[in-house]
Amino acid sequence: MGLRSIFGPGAAVRREIERSREALYRMAYAWCRNADLADDITHTAIEKALRGAAQLRDAARLRAWLFRILANSLRDQARAQREFVQLEGMEDLIADTGPTPEEVRASAELVQRVRRAVGELPLAQRQVVTLVDLEGCSYAEVGEILDVPIGTVMSRLCRARQALRDGLKPTASEMLGTGLRSVK
Amino acid sequence: MSEEKRISEEMRNAFVDAQLDAAEWGSVTGRLERDAALREDVCELRTLKDLVRHAYADPPMPRARPRGTAGPGWRTLAAASAAFAILGWLGNSWWSRTPVLDPASAYALRGDWHALRGDWRSLEANRVLVHVSSGSREALGTALEEVEDLLRAARAERRNVEVEIVANSSGLDLLRATGSPHAQRIASLRREYSNLGLVACGQTLARLRERGQPTDLLPGTVIAPSALEQVTKRLRDGWVYVRA
Repeated sequence: MGLRSIFGPGAAVRREIERSREALYRMAYAWCRNADLADDITHTAIEKALRGAAQLRDAARLRAWLFRILANSLRDQARAQREFVQLEGMEDLIADTGPTPEEVRASAELVQRVRRAVGELPLAQRQVVTLVDLEGCSYAEVGEILDVPIGTVMSRLCRARQALRDGLKPTASEMLGTGLRSVK
Repeated sequence: MSEEKRISEEMRNAFVDAQLDAAEWGSVTGRLERDAALREDVCELRTLKDLVRHAYADPPMPRARPRGTAGPGWRTLAAASAAFAILGWLGNSWWSRTPVLDPASAYALRGDWHALRGDWRSLEANRVLVHVSSGSREALGTALEEVEDLLRAARAERRNVEVEIVANSSGLDLLRATGSPHAQRIASLRREYSNLGLVACGQTLARLRERGQPTDLLPGTVIAPSALEQVTKRLRDGWVYVRA
């Protein structure tokens, strides 16, 4: 959509990359649960994408291409921190930092509980569920981004959602009880 | 036999994520009509998706660091879009002549059926909130017709949409279980389309109660604290807004 503008396809792709910053940052934050780290990863991913914009031949694949770069940037970041051999280990680094003042101010308890539940998922499941729910990616796109077969995407998604449902059961009931009520 | 086999978790998730092919989609929707437990499960999965989406709608900003390449105030633009929507809502008017629809920057806001019909095929959003605040017979009838058309068109195109009617003020008449000429029609729509949600404004209900006019709502209607709160929440979650 509009990628071949009067400024040429390369310029249009670069603009689209810049426009994706919000979505990339949100995803990076959902994956690593730390605003500064998410910012670094987003920045790195955008720099890589801008450098490689000319290599993108199919504009329709821009989103998958960008999120794949983001996932690779996260992996590179984890590798750079030698003490965390497993990507999942990043959770331990981040979990102790606690919410920022801005987080506390801006987020309701429900938001925090959901983020905590998502954050407690293994990274592979967390990536799948956030790509599908936050970005609306198709299963095929998620497979392309994370370099796994669609069957793996589906099974990870099932496990992730089951864990979230179990973890958020009281929250969902509270929401129905106090926020929204249903007429029987 | 296979028709009555339990719909797998993978299928349920794929249904909610609009990832099924036409045959699978038809099979699940068929089962939904007669399987209350499946409906409840699908509803829970949808709620879960909403919760996850909502939890990251406004991620915390990183600490200010010397980096000059950030986008041109996207958070401000997004907030301004939502605020604009709410102002329009409060002002009982809507911006309806702007032909450009940019879901990425404006939460796909639009205010009229005509525009929605025109944009439907190109819209990425699959969730439509229909706001009804007028109780005139004509307005309510039109709203129902349009909602039915939308649901039917979506089904024909195999699009997994969610439509939610949010009613407040005199528009609440639409959701009355008794004394409403529309009750039967809505009940039938609800039976046919499990993806149609009904939400009543809690504040309007409270006002009616204070006046000694308690309201008997249609079964399945959800009561939100207020219509405004519900509209705001949905806009933040990227729903398309249509004022009936």
